[in-house]
Amino acid sequence: MHVLIINGSPRVKKFSNTDKILDKFCEGLSEKGNSYLRYEISDRRQWETIRQAWDESNNILIALPLYVECIPGLLLEFLETVTPHKDDADISFILQSGFAEGCQLRCGEEYLKLMSKHLGCRYKGTLVKGDNFSIRFFEDEKRDRITTPYKRMGQIYGEEASFDSEECKAFTGPEVFPAYVRVLVGLMFKTVARKSFEKISKEWGCTKPLDYRPYGT
Amino acid sequence: MVLIINTTSDTDVTAKIGSSLKEKGRPFEIIEASTLKISHCIGCNYCWLKTPGECSIKDDYEQILKKIIKADQMWVISDTALGFIDHKGKNIYDRIIPIATMNLKFKNGQMRHYLRYDHKTDIGLICNGEADMDQLRKWNERAALNFDSKSLGVYGTDRIEEVTACMC
Ligand SMILES: Cc1cc2nc3c(=O)[nH]c(=O)nc-3n(C[C@H](O)[C@H](O)[C@H](O)COP(=O)(O)O)c2cc1C
Repeated sequence: MHVLIINGSPRVKKFSNTDKILDKFCEGLSEKGNSYLRYEISDRRQWETIRQAWDESNNILIALPLYVECIPGLLLEFLETVTPHKDDADISFILQSGFAEGCQLRCGEEYLKLMSKHLGCRYKGTLVKGDNFSIRFFEDEKRDRITTPYKRMGQIYGEEASFDSEECKAFTGPEVFPAYVRVLVGLMFKTVARKSFEKISKEWGCTKPLDYRPYGT
Repeated sequence: MVLIINTTSDTDVTAKIGSSLKEKGRPFEIIEASTLKISHCIGCNYCWLKTPGECSIKDDYEQILKKIIKADQMWVISDTALGFIDHKGKNIYDRIIPIATMNLKFKNGQMRHYLRYDHKTDIGLICNGEADMDQLRKWNERAALNFDSKSLGVYGTDRIEEVTACMC
């Protein structure tokens, strides 16, 4: 199969978590003998080329970050400009987010299914996965630990052209964390996570506390 | 104060809302955002980590953000596209994130950000055009959760009387 892959993140490619996820995903996809074209909507210069590829494709995969519970404004702006298919193309999604629990992405996932209809495409499922916020801050092995599992998902998609399998569904992980995990993770938020965010903030040249109120009150 | 952000070019709707709220004596402010320059969020994370609370994009959204953090209610008026609100409406939501901080906690069993300000702003949505209203209602509720606030509901522009009754 030949797939049009669109990275729907507004973040520039270099820093995009979706981009790093797609690197691994595409490895798996290629291993199964598929080819693909890959674009980023964060680069408006590509929009005309993506629209052309959209018209010519019958296998489309949009990978996107969850933005306030749904698709990012910029991706919406792009999709408003494509010509809907006439039920002659398959569409699938990789929906990834910062918050870790599966339940956080379900509202967005539901919309993607509805949106497929408006785009005149046959919906072939969404790979749903949270806990990706830190990819951009990690390098090498630490980054690979988060992104490598997407390679297997690429293999499955490469064979089945959908995300309907049980393995893809299980990839999401827990819908909510059990109480004891919440206690542990909550503790981590207050200690390790807070420290590491403060460290990144300092490295970025910030001199203010993270809860600073620039507009008073 | 009730803040009304109109991202459509239909100013009849805001005129109607304005006169109704004036009659009721409720404090409000209307922003005609279609005449303003408002970019999409570029996901740079500066508002959380480099210039906490401040967006790196210096466009007309900054004045809106300053008003949002003081408003008791914020109503977004948006055109629709692909069964949802259009990108101009969605950009208003995406760019609110400086009011959240980077720090995380669990609330009602789910991960959330700590909010930057004590004041909470409830969010309502008015749609101009066809959309999947049930999905939008669900979505607006989830969106409000992210800002520790409540959804005031989702209405079509044909229900302005009802909407102004909820504006207080
Ligand atoms: C404006 C904005 C809104 C976001 N909204 C959510 C959200 O509602 N839920 C969530 O879990 N993550 C949310 N995130 C986090 C992103 O989904 C997450 O960091 C993702 O990995 C970013 O991918 P990218 O680097 O490819 O853009 C949001 C991020 C931004 C910048």
